[in-house]
Amino acid sequence: MRFFSVNDFLFILAATRWTVLLSLLAFALGGLLGVLVAVLRIARFAPVRLAAAGYIQLFQGTPLLMQLFLIYYGLSLFGWRLDAWTAVTIAYTIYAAAFLGDIWRGCIQAVPKEQWEAGRALAMPYRPQLFLIILPQAIRIAIPPTVGFMVQLVKATAVASIIGFVELTRAGQLMTNATFQPMVVYPIVAGLYFALCWPLSVWSQRLEIQMRVENAIGRQK
Amino acid sequence: MAYVFQFGIVFDQLPLLLEGALLTIRLAATAMVFGLVAAVTCAYLRTSGPKPVRALVAAYVEGIRNTPFLVQLYIIYFSLPALGIRFEANQAAVVAMVISFGAYATEIVRAGVQSVPAGQIEVGFALGLKRLQIYRLIVLFPALKAVFPALASQFILLLLGSSVVSAISANELTAVANSLQSTTFRAFEVYIVATVMYLAIALAFRGFFAAVYWFVFVRGRER
Amino acid sequence: MQVTVRYLAAAGAALLALAVGSQTVEAQALDRILKEKKIRITAEVTSPPFGILDKDNKPTGSEVETARQLAKDLGVELELIQVTGPQRIPALLSDRADLAISSLSITTERAKTVWFSSPHGALSIVIGAGKNVNIKSAADLAGKKIGMTRATLEEQVVPKVAPPGTNIVFFDEHSATQQALLSGQVDAIGGAAFLINELAKRNPDKGIETKFTVMTAFYGIAVKPGNFDLLQWVNTWVFVNKQNGVLAKIYKEHTGVDLVDLPNL
Repeated sequence: MRFFSVNDFLFILAATRWTVLLSLLAFALGGLLGVLVAVLRIARFAPVRLAAAGYIQLFQGTPLLMQLFLIYYGLSLFGWRLDAWTAVTIAYTIYAAAFLGDIWRGCIQAVPKEQWEAGRALAMPYRPQLFLIILPQAIRIAIPPTVGFMVQLVKATAVASIIGFVELTRAGQLMTNATFQPMVVYPIVAGLYFALCWPLSVWSQRLEIQMRVENAIGRQK
Repeated sequence: MAYVFQFGIVFDQLPLLLEGALLTIRLAATAMVFGLVAAVTCAYLRTSGPKPVRALVAAYVEGIRNTPFLVQLYIIYFSLPALGIRFEANQAAVVAMVISFGAYATEIVRAGVQSVPAGQIEVGFALGLKRLQIYRLIVLFPALKAVFPALASQFILLLLGSSVVSAISANELTAVANSLQSTTFRAFEVYIVATVMYLAIALAFRGFFAAVYWFVFVRGRER
Repeated sequence: MQVTVRYLAAAGAALLALAVGSQTVEAQALDRILKEKKIRITAEVTSPPFGILDKDNKPTGSEVETARQLAKDLGVELELIQVTGPQRIPALLSDRADLAISSLSITTERAKTVWFSSPHGALSIVIGAGKNVNIKSAADLAGKKIGMTRATLEEQVVPKVAPPGTNIVFFDEHSATQQALLSGQVDAIGGAAFLINELAKRNPDKGIETKFTVMTAFYGIAVKPGNFDLLQWVNTWVFVNKQNGVLAKIYKEHTGVDLVDLPNL
């Protein structure tokens, strides 16, 4: 039996970079897609709105593991030769876009209606209203929940281990197999995730408090 | 080569899939009940308990919320036996789900508790009620009413998240789908059907919660 | 009228080219591999001794080394596609891999979805458990919890021999099944004899031993249906390396057992 050695710990640590990479990719690409989803979700044209709402409902209302299986096994049926990284990145991007789109839609709608009306009073058409007045304010509101979602995303990458994708959790499985010391390996894996996520959580909470304070001060003026 | 969809193969196994779906529902519902009890208790301890207890609850909540459910599951199923604690697959799944749901629900319930107007609590003290009584009689009901939607959403997340317990051999819907896929190789059809079933279950629960909300919090309470 | 005929002729020619073109694309798997100078072969790293991670955590094992030898003989670079047990065949079908060399036992069930080469190895499926678990034959399985991995030969055969009252549970891949046995979550597991022996060797304190053999099987290399040329080359490669003893050498090196006579498909 191989005892858990420094080598094995380094293997797990090295795999952490795949977790980080996947999270960043999904966040960046999902963020781009999410902006589109959020904007479409509040479109004035009803079918577009419904389509965006349907997309959000579908990917928020089904298990991530199912989405992964479908994209990993299923997309290739349409003739696409996807390697593991591409398939997984696509899956997490779609997943992230649904959640971020929903969060950001909420933030856009949280911007007071008066702002829209002010834009209309200035004879601004819809798109400049949206992009010059509303979105900048929505972004401020959106920062705390977005950072909060980043935590969810990092944790969600663990599910990819089930399809054999090599990231932190899978590395833990492989090391447990090599050394058979689950009492040591899995808590270490949990600790590494904690190290990744907790700072983000703390930051998100701090941002939220900051915003509440700013809003309170703003209202008092 | 064009792919020919063959949903018939999947529909033949519908009874098996339904069995799996039933287990999914049972696991999630059990976890919710125990998780809610844990959450209500922990929310109380977090707001009104002695300092070390408050810190402990906070540590529990932060620890769970910053680590993946799957890893918690592996620890409970694979690591604990080394300490002599052995849960079989379905039990381990419920334990992990209770612990996980409990942590998130604790925060949600705590937010609800803290949203109860201070005046009401002061009335409780004025009437000579003890802390626990105030919590039980005055605070809990409006707190739960306020955060009920958030709790319902969290439950749906729990339900959907339960699909990963297939990894420790619990024979719920995802596991059945996996077995089906590994024998028929009809991945697309199998997983689409399973996904539709999850959607249906989630929708059913949403309706159920709406009904519960109306029944418990709204009916006959014209406040 | 002239224009119409010319137009129809051009359209007809285009369609013909498309039809022929798409068909020839199918038959050119080997050519594509040779052109790209790269072959992708599945590797299961949690299935000792067929596929494991060595102490530097690099893939090795009898099947992985066989894959390396094949790529070398073909004169192309090898790309190992790490897969879990249930993904061996889907990886092939979805073109994520060109060949599946991961101890895929040849069964008529699997032959419905993939094409097998002549066998290049043999294994036996056994039930393994700790020494204080009393299992002498299939009948003793009743009332016990037996774990195994999905999409394996044992998944197909063990339920057939197990008496009613046996609780069979499935895991998504070998590492989970092995951990289940080692942590006592299951009473016994079904798996390749080599795997049970490896498990026993690596964990001497658990006293794992083979209880009884369920069946023996030959395993081969699998290709996606339609890749005639690739299959033909692989069969030739297996034949040659059977004769020159290379397959037997790799097999003995990793399993410790002599390779039996391999029949042709």
